[in-house]
Order: sequence, then C-alpha cells, then structure tokens
Amino acid sequence: MANVLHLEGLSRRFGSLTALDDLSFDVPSGHVVGFLGPNGAGKTTTMRAIFGLTDLDAGVVRWNGSVVGQAERRRFGYMPEERGLYPGMLVGEQLTYLGQLHGLTWTDASAASTKWLERLGVADRAKSKVEALSHGNQQRVQLAAALLHNPELLILDEPLAGLDPSGIDAIGDVLAAQARSGCCVIFSSHQLDLVEDLCESVVIIDHGRLMATGGVDELANSGARRLVVRVDGDRSGSWATGVAGVTISEVKGGEVRLVLDDDVDSDALLTLARGAGRLTEFVFERRRLSEVFREAVG
Amino acid sequence: MKFVLIPVLVAIAALRIWMRHRRRQTDPHSSRPWMTSMTNDVGLVAVREMRERFRGRIFRIGTVFILVVVAAAIIIPVLHNNSKQPPQKVGVVGAFPASLRATIESSAKVVSDTLNFVAEPNAQHARADLRSGRIDLAIVNGSQLVVDRPLNSNNSSVDSQLVLTVAKNVGFTEAVRAAHLSRTQSETLAAAKALPVTSIQPGKKSSFNGTSLIGVILIFIMLSQYNTWILIGVMEEKSSRVIEVLLSTVRPIQLLAGKVLGIGLVALAQASLIVAFALALSKAVGSNLTHGTAPLVLVSTLVWLVLGFAFYSWVYAAAGSMAERQDQVQSLALPLSLPMIFGYVMALTQVSSGSPSALLKVLAYLPPTAPFAMPVLVGFGAATWWQFLSSVLISAVCTVGIARAAATIYRRSILRTGGRVRVREVLSRASR
Repeated sequence: MANVLHLEGLSRRFGSLTALDDLSFDVPSGHVVGFLGPNGAGKTTTMRAIFGLTDLDAGVVRWNGSVVGQAERRRFGYMPEERGLYPGMLVGEQLTYLGQLHGLTWTDASAASTKWLERLGVADRAKSKVEALSHGNQQRVQLAAALLHNPELLILDEPLAGLDPSGIDAIGDVLAAQARSGCCVIFSSHQLDLVEDLCESVVIIDHGRLMATGGVDELANSGARRLVVRVDGDRSGSWATGVAGVTISEVKGGEVRLVLDDDVDSDALLTLARGAGRLTEFVFERRRLSEVFREAVG
Repeated sequence: MKFVLIPVLVAIAALRIWMRHRRRQTDPHSSRPWMTSMTNDVGLVAVREMRERFRGRIFRIGTVFILVVVAAAIIIPVLHNNSKQPPQKVGVVGAFPASLRATIESSAKVVSDTLNFVAEPNAQHARADLRSGRIDLAIVNGSQLVVDRPLNSNNSSVDSQLVLTVAKNVGFTEAVRAAHLSRTQSETLAAAKALPVTSIQPGKKSSFNGTSLIGVILIFIMLSQYNTWILIGVMEEKSSRVIEVLLSTVRPIQLLAGKVLGIGLVALAQASLIVAFALALSKAVGSNLTHGTAPLVLVSTLVWLVLGFAFYSWVYAAAGSMAERQDQVQSLALPLSLPMIFGYVMALTQVSSGSPSALLKVLAYLPPTAPFAMPVLVGFGAATWWQFLSSVLISAVCTVGIARAAATIYRRSILRTGGRVRVREVLSRASR
C-alpha cells in the first residue's frame, strides 16, 4: 500500500495572527509535491507541525492513517528553512550522529553518510568542519542529513534557495529519484518555474488556508482557456478590447494574452484578429504554474 | 563512607521507581521500546557532548592548569613545613661546663632546633653580635641568657620556645644542684610528666581548613565552568539552527537530558581526576590532606559537585534556550550566578573563621547554597549522616522540580528566534 501523509484540519494561532486555518490536504507517495504560498502563508508552520516542532490548536497529522508520533518522525527526513548543523563538527561525524538519532547503527549511519556525500558531490569534505564549507556545499550536507536513513517522507523547506544551477540540478535529481523509489517528497519554494519542472503536483496555501491542490498538468489545463495572439500593426491588442467574454491578461512585446470565457467562439476571434492586421501567432496555451499560483492567492 | 553510600542507594532506588513508572507508558506505535529509544537518544546526545568537550582545547588546558594549582597547594605547605630551620647560634661567654652544654642541647631537641655554639671573648662582644644577628642567644658565665629583643617581639630572630625551654631547664638543673638531692631523686624529678588533659568536645581537625578550602574552590570553579558550557552549548544549538534538525527526531527533554548528562559526566571525570591526583600526591609527599576528615570532605565535595551541577544545569539550560547571542548569554548568566557566589563566599568565610555559624547550617539545606555549605559542615564534623542525607534529599527533590520547569521553558523557547525570549512570554499560553 502506498504511503500517504494526511493533514486534517490544522489550526494554529500566534496571538492575533492566524498561521494555519483549518488546513487539510493529502500528499501521496511516489510524487514530488511542491508546497507553495506567499511569504507568511503558513508553509513553514505546516512543516514544523508535521514534525511536532509547533503545537497545534486543532487538527491532526496522520501517516498511513496513524497519528504521527516520535516513532513515525524518526522515519521522516526534514530540511528546515533555517539551515542548521554544528559549525565546529566534522561533516562525516555529524552525519553519522544524525543518522544514529534516526535509529541507524553507527556502522549503517557511517556508510549512509559516505554514500550520500558521494552522491551529492561533497565526499572530499567529510573530514572538514561544516563552517569551512561554502553555502552550496552546506546545503548539500544538510540534504544528506535528511536522506541518511532512507526516509519514507521527505520534507524540505526552500531546499533550492541560494543554489547555483548545478546545485539545483543535483538536488532536483535526488528528489526525483527519491520519489521514484516510493518516498513521499514535499518541498516549498518560491522558484515556481523550477517547481513546475520538478513537481508532479502542488499544494497552494495562503493565510493558512488551502487555496488549490492537484497535479501540475491538471491545474495548468484547468480554468478558462488562454489564447496568445500576435498581430502585426496592433501590438497593444486593441482589436480585442471590448469583445464580450474576452479579457486581456497581459501584453508583452506585441504578444497579447487573452483569457476566454467558456461561451466565446474562437473562430470569431480568429476572424477579428485577421481583420486587425497580419496575424503571426494564434495559439491556445496552458497556464503556467506562476499564473495558477497568482490566481489561487489573488 | 555512609555519606557517599546513602545518596547513591537513594539515587538508584529513585531511578528504578522512575523507570518502572515510565515503562508503563511505553508507546505502542514505536518500533523500539519507549525506554530503549529514550535512553539510546539521551546516550547518543551525551556521548557527542563528551566527545566534543574532551577534544576541546579549553578542557585540556583547563585540566592541566587546575592540576598544577592543586599540586602547588599541596606541595608548597609541605615544603614550608619540612624546610630545615637554620641552626640557632648560641654565643658562649665565660665558663661553659659540659653538664650545662648537655642541658641546653637536650632542650633544643625538645623544640626540634639545632644549635651551633660560638665562643665569645666577652659580654660586650656577645651583645654586639646579638645586635648584628650573628648569634641568636648568648649564655654569659653559665648563669645569664641574653637575647637581642624581648621574646614576644615579632622582630625576635631567636626561637622563643628554645630560649624559654633552655631557661627553664637550666634553672631547674641549678635548683636540683642547690637542693643537694640524691641522684635517684634528681632523676625522678627530671622524669616528671605533665598530667593528661581531656576535653569533652572533639578537637578541630588539623587538616580541615586546607581540604575544605580546596573543596569549596573546586566546586565553585567547576560549577561556574560547566554550567556556562551548558548555557553556551544550548544557545549555540539555537543560534546555529541545528536545534530544529535535532528536535525533528528527538524530544526536547531527551536532548536536554543528554546535554546535561554528557557535560555532567565530563565535569565528574575532571573532578574525580583532580581529587584522585590530590589524594595520590598528598600521600606521596606526606601532606595532611589524607588525614582526619580530609578524605571525607573530598568525597563529600564530589557528591555535592554532582548535586550542585544537577541543580544548576537545568536552570542554565533553560536560560540558554532563551538567548540567541553571546551578549544575551552574559546578561543571563550574571543573575544566575549570584546564589552560587553567595554560597561560595559564605562557605569561604566560615572555613577561615574555624567554626560553623547558624547561617551556614541553614544554607546547608538550601539547594542553591548546599553544594558549598554542606561539605564545609562535613569538614567541621558538624553534620550527622541524617542531616547530610536530608540535605541531599531536599536538593534532589528541588532538582526534579527545577528540571520539569526548565524543560518546559526550554521546549517553548528553543525554537523562538529573532531576539531574547522573556520568561513571561514563554509562560503565556500563546507561546506553546
């Protein structure tokens, strides 16, 4: 049976601030799931709640139907937004220690440490102190710390922030491989193009509430039809102004993006565009994740 | 030994009761038994703490420094006591019969002095030598003793005990001769012994002051040092953000207990090394540190070092969880150290005064000051085993209460970043 993380009615207030407001969603295994939301939406609080790092006013976190406790959390991997390792401790020793805290024997933890440092391209830094590593390498070591014990659920808070393209590729490959091996992977990011490339599905929250969830393709293809039109001689799209059921969403470099209501006849629009000048582009496109995100969070 | 055995037995009994209570609460979902997981995690954290501390340069240099200071404190008094007094120079003017010489030499043996006799041509020359310090005492014509200054003067260079003994013995010998006593009668008088004097209170132990002093200073230095380690260690885990990674897999109380246990064991190891070194060195050089109540005071010092560390470590850990920077640590450490400083100063004062005051007896039962006051009472011989045990129990019970409160503060404040956390904020409901 596939593993499932189930968040049910999570609520959390900090004084007058509502961080989580009856938040519920599921995360299936075998997927890389993007966890999206504007700053202050409640993403980090949600992740902390999964690991018991913040108390909940209401709601419950379940793993395969069971309430998550310390035994389950031991099988999860976590990479917090605020990166944290002992600065003065050797990388290899530190990873072995963290692996042991996740229930591995010293031998297994040491072997896993070596394996993941090699996989992430920092094997030569095993005997270095963490504080001597570059930001990117510290990030790789931090990811290794979350992967040592072959977790069933991997939760990463902004794992791609501040990485160069090769670092992003390396971490992206690891996340995809983990998902393929049956791990449940969820990560937050503000780099929506990267999320669109990496994730099969997304969860979008705002003000602690669920705004949208589903597969990336499903969300991109859902909602109103989107049409991109380019007419020589009418770069501002004035030909479409005032057409019933048609909204100009963006004009950029002569390319006009239109959002069509369901009852709009696209053939009539094609005729209208041809009448405005030489038509060089007339393409229906799926929504980009950034557009899905903006629509979801207003 | 009962001072040591009783607390150990009580601690073992309390641990067994606590383990039995916890075993009933075993988590049914856990893949490992609750207790095994708990102890494994605490052990892992403790071992990491010990490894990192033992490796630290501060620990190694600090240990060597303390050993050197302890060695100096033991060896210097021994050297001072054993240093040979230079022979007292006795100027002789006029007749000096062999019997008188024998009487004076036997008098010198009584006060452990050695003598050199110097012939003086006349009394005037002898006085000049006395003034210049070339001789310490002059005997003029076998009937007059002359010194440079009165014997009660601080400036007198001569051993006053020697002069008084010589004066008394020479006078006695002359009196015996004048009385025309028989040889047997003379010997009987010479063999006269003073009546034994019995006191109804036990006497003060000669080794007490030095041992208690070392013990009190050792406790203060080690509590200050190791509790500061706890404070800074907790603060660093918070400021480096590694705490969030750790708490995603272990409970706050496990992490805290492991840290306290690890650093506590390092402290105990260092203190045991110092005490063992002190005892071995004392025995080797013949110091009075191994005599009287001294060994008991040292063992009591170790017991109270453990109890004092157990009490204060939780307080310092809770304070560390509220800080995020070094300057915040310093402002937190000062008020926490005040009870320690008070107990330390009071204990030192009492050691110097030579007798325990009523205040010290009260402080010996208050957990913040007991680690300093109770070992001093033990050294004075002013604490019975049940008083010692009562103080241990009071301290243990209060430590449990303090640990629970500290764990709550730690759990609520360790993940709060962005500035120093206030106690009021931690205790409010919204901070959970």
